[in-house]
Amino acid sequence: MKRITGYLRWLVSTALIVGLVPLGGAIASAADAPAQGGSATLNASGATFPQSYYEEVIGAFKQKDPNVTVNYAGGGSGKGRQDFADQVTDFGASDAPYNATDAAGVKGGTFFYFPTVAAPITVSYNLKNVKKLQLSPDTIAKIFQGEIKTWDDAAIKADNKGVKLPSTAITVAHRADGSGTTENFTKFLAAAAPSVWTLGSGSTVSWPSDTQAGQGNQGVGQIVKSTDGAIGYVDFSDAKALKLQFARIKNADGKYVAPTVKATTAAVGKAQVKDDLTYDPLNASGASAYPISAPTWLLVYQSQSDAAKASALKKFLNFIYGDGQKLAPEVDYAPLPKSLLDKAKAQVKQVGGSSGSTSSSTPST
Amino acid sequence: MTAPAVSLTQSTRKGRRELKNAIATTLFVASFVIALIPLTLIVVYVIRAGASVFSWAFLTDDLPFSNRREGGGMYPAIVGTLVITGTATAMAVPLGILGGIYLNEYGKKGIIAQVLRFLADVMTGVPSIVMGLFIYTIWVLPRKQAGLSGFAGALALGCLMLPIVIRTTEEILKVVPDELREGSYALGSRKAQAIRTVVMPHAAPGVISGALLGVARVAGETAPLLFTIGIVTSPNFNVFDGPNTALPQQIYINAATFGGFPAAQDRAWGAALALIGIVFLFTLVARIVTAIYTRRSAAV
Amino acid sequence: MATDAPALPNKLSKGPRQLGIVTDWGFRILALAAGLMVFVILALIAIYTTREALPWFREEGLGIFTDNWDPAHNDFGALGLIYGTMLVAGLAVLFSLPISIGIALFITDVAPQRFRRPFVYTVDLLAAIPSVVYGLWALLVLAEPLASLYESLSDATASIPILNTVFANPSASGKSFMTAGIIVAIMITPIITSITREVFATVPASQKEAALALGATRWEMIRGAVFPHSRSGMVAGTMIGLGRAMGETIAIALVIGASQRVSANILGPGDTLASVIANQFGEASGTHRAALIGCGVVLFAITIVISMGARALVTRADRRSAGA
Repeated sequence: MKRITGYLRWLVSTALIVGLVPLGGAIASAADAPAQGGSATLNASGATFPQSYYEEVIGAFKQKDPNVTVNYAGGGSGKGRQDFADQVTDFGASDAPYNATDAAGVKGGTFFYFPTVAAPITVSYNLKNVKKLQLSPDTIAKIFQGEIKTWDDAAIKADNKGVKLPSTAITVAHRADGSGTTENFTKFLAAAAPSVWTLGSGSTVSWPSDTQAGQGNQGVGQIVKSTDGAIGYVDFSDAKALKLQFARIKNADGKYVAPTVKATTAAVGKAQVKDDLTYDPLNASGASAYPISAPTWLLVYQSQSDAAKASALKKFLNFIYGDGQKLAPEVDYAPLPKSLLDKAKAQVKQVGGSSGSTSSSTPST
Repeated sequence: MTAPAVSLTQSTRKGRRELKNAIATTLFVASFVIALIPLTLIVVYVIRAGASVFSWAFLTDDLPFSNRREGGGMYPAIVGTLVITGTATAMAVPLGILGGIYLNEYGKKGIIAQVLRFLADVMTGVPSIVMGLFIYTIWVLPRKQAGLSGFAGALALGCLMLPIVIRTTEEILKVVPDELREGSYALGSRKAQAIRTVVMPHAAPGVISGALLGVARVAGETAPLLFTIGIVTSPNFNVFDGPNTALPQQIYINAATFGGFPAAQDRAWGAALALIGIVFLFTLVARIVTAIYTRRSAAV
Repeated sequence: MATDAPALPNKLSKGPRQLGIVTDWGFRILALAAGLMVFVILALIAIYTTREALPWFREEGLGIFTDNWDPAHNDFGALGLIYGTMLVAGLAVLFSLPISIGIALFITDVAPQRFRRPFVYTVDLLAAIPSVVYGLWALLVLAEPLASLYESLSDATASIPILNTVFANPSASGKSFMTAGIIVAIMITPIITSITREVFATVPASQKEAALALGATRWEMIRGAVFPHSRSGMVAGTMIGLGRAMGETIAIALVIGASQRVSANILGPGDTLASVIANQFGEASGTHRAALIGCGVVLFAITIVISMGARALVTRADRRSAGA
C-alpha cells in the first residue's frame, strides 16, 4: 500500500510541477499586467542593416512610453517583407521595396513605406598591414564575382598606388539570407560597374562557390573579422562596432570617399523621392557623396484592426521622426533630410485610415 | 552451424596473437578517451566562459535591447524555456503515457497497435525543423499577428516528445511482470482498474524517468522554435499570448548573427551554461528516480 | 467461512459494477484515442507539407534533383543539398562508428565491472548536451584551429591525385562539410555507443567464456563470440546514428558555410537539406518556400527509408541467426 501511494505521489507531483509552470505563468502575467489602456506589444522583423539603430530607438522609446513594447526580430529584409505580407508581424522593415511579384502577395491591403534613416554600406576587409585601401566599382565587382583572387592583383594595385599589398587569397563574404543590403550593394555595382558586374542585383544573388556566407550584416562582419584576407559588405554601424577596416570607394564624380554619416547625408540629399516615399541614393553624384549609401523603410499597413496597436504604432513612428532622428548619428546612421522627414510625418497620420477607425479607444496623436 | 569466425588452431605464434590483442585493447581504451575529450572540452569551456558572465543579474535581468552591447541577462529566455517546455510536457506526457498504455495493455499484437507502433517510430524520425515548419504552416500563419507565441513552440516540441514518451512508456510497461496483472484480475478488478492500481504504480518511476529524459532532450531543441515563437526582450509568462524567447534560440541568435561581438559571445556561453544546467538537472532527476526504483524493488 | 461471505451477484446490477464496465471501456477508448493522435498528427504533417511543397514538384518536375539551387533565378534544384546531407551524415558515421564500437567494447569487456555504470553515465552525458551548444562550441572554438589544420592538410595533399580534389580549397573560416561532419560525429557517438553496448551486453556469457576457455585472447573472443552475435544490432545502431545525423539542423547550420552546390571538396563550404531550411525559410515566398518545405519532405522520406531499412536488416539478420 505504502509503495503504491509513494509512486502515485511521484506521478502526481511531477505532473503538477510540470503543469503548474504554464498555468502559474498565465496567472502571473494576468496579475501583473498593467490594467490601463494604451498598453500594446508591437512585433516586427526584417532588415539587419538598420537593426542597431532600431534597437537603440526601441530602448529609448521604452523609456519614454513604458506601456508599449516593441520586439524586433531581425532576419533580413526578405524576412521582413515576407512576414509583413503574411501579416505575421505588426510592421516590417526592409532596405528595398517589394518587387512586382512579391507586392502581389501582400495580404493586408494598402501599405506605406516609412523611411527612417540611411547609412553607408562599407566594403570591409581584413588585412593586418594595410591600413588604407581604396577601391573603384570595377575592382569591387571583379573581386565579388571571383575574377580577382588575391590581394596583390593588378587591378587593386592600380586603385592603390604606393600601397604594399600582400599576396593573401581573397575570401569573399556575403549574405546567406535574403538581404536588402545585398540588394542595394548589387544595385550599386550594376549601376556603377555595368560592363563588369555580371551577377545582377536582388536580395539573393548567385555568388561564386568559393565564397563564405553569413547571417545578417553582423554575420558577414563576423566572417570578415575572423578571416585573414576576407572582404565583405557590412553596414557602417556594425563595421565600426566590430572594429573592421573599410575601404574608400570611388564615387560617380571620381573621388574616393570614406563611409561616413556626412557623406551619406550628401548622397541622400541628391536622391529623388517618389510619391510613396521610396528613393534611391546609390551611386549619387556630388564630390562628397558616399556612393554606397543605402536607404531603409518600415512597412506599415494603412488598415489597422487593433486600435491600441495602431495608436502605439503611430507613437513609435513619431518618436523615430522626433527624438529618433537625433539619436541616429550617435549610432552611426544618417537622419533624414528635412523635406523627406516632413513628408514622412504627414504619412503617419494616414495609418489606421485617415478618420475611419471604428473603435472607441484613445484618439491618435 | 557455420564455420567459426576465428580459427584458434592456426597462428600458434602466441606473440602475434598477444600483440593483436594488446593493440585492440589499446584501441578500445583510446576510443573511450577520445570520446571523453570533446565532452570535457565542451563542458569545461562552457563552464569557464559561461561562469565569467554568470551572476545573479545575468539570471534575473531582461535581455538588452541591442545584442552587441554588454550587459543584460537571460531571464526572459530562462522563463521562456521553462514555460514552453512545461506546456509541451503537459500536453505530450499524459497523451504519451496513455498511448503507451494502449500499445502494451490493450493493443498488444493487434493490427491497430502494430500500425501505431510503426507510425510512432516514423514520427520519432521527423526532423525537428520539419516539425517547426509544420506548426508554422498549420498554426502560426492562419493566426496572423497572433500566431507567433510560446504555445506554437510548445506544440512543435510536444509533437517531438509524443512518440518518444509513447515508446518509452510501452517499453517500461513490457517489463512489468504479468503476474501482477493476473493477481489483480484474480481479485476481481477490471483492466483499467488493474492498470491504475497495480501496473502504473509499479511502472511509474520508469515512466517518469523516461518522460524527464524526453523533456531534457526537447528543452535543448532550437529548430522547432525558429519560426514559431518570435522574439522578446522582457519575460513573457503567458505562453498563449504573444511571442516569447528561449535559451536555445538566444544561443543561436548570439552565435550565428552576432557572434562577432564579444558581448554576444559571452551572452551565448552564459545561456549555454544555463541551458546545460537545466538539461543536466532533468537528466539527474531522471537518474535518481530510476535509482530509487531499482533500490526499492530490490529491497522488496 | 461460508455464512459470512458476501453473495456473488449472478447478474449485473446497477451500481459500482456497472460503472466499472463503463469506466473500463471509457479508459480503453481514451488510451486508443491518445495513441491515434500519432496517426492524426503524422497524417496532418504528411498532407500539409506535401500540399505546400507541390508547387515545387510541379514546377521543377524531376529538376528537383539537379544541382541548381539558385533563388535569385527561381531555380531550385536540390541535388547539392541531398549530396550535402548524405556527405555530412556519411562523414559523421565514418568518424563515429569505430569510436562508438570501441567505447562499447571497452565498457562491456575491458573496463572493470564496478566502473561500468559511471562510464555509461559519462558517455550518456554527451547525449544530454543540446545540439545548439555543440554548434556554438564548434563555431567559436573549433572552427579556427580546424581552418589552420585544413590549410596544412590541403597543402600536404596538393600533389596526390584523388586526395587533392577531396582536400582542395580549404575554407578560410573553417566552415565546411568536414567541420560539420566532425561535430555531428561527436553528437551521434553516444547514441551508437549506447545501442551497441546494449547489444554487446546480450551476448551469452557462456559463449564468451567458452572462447576464453579455448585459449582465445580477449580480442579473439570479441571477434569470435561478440561480433557475430551482434552484427545486426551494430548495423541497426549505425542506421539510427545515420538517421539522427541526417536530421541534425542547428549544429550543422552554424558551421557548414551555406553553399548549395555539389562539390567534391570536403574542406569547403556546403549545405544540407535541414540547414538550408533553417537559413532561408524566413525570407522565402512562393516557389522558394515550396522548395524549402519540399526539402523537408525529401529529408523526411530519406529518414523513413533508412529507418525501415534498418528494421528490415535487423529482422533478416535475426531470422538468419535464429535459423543457424
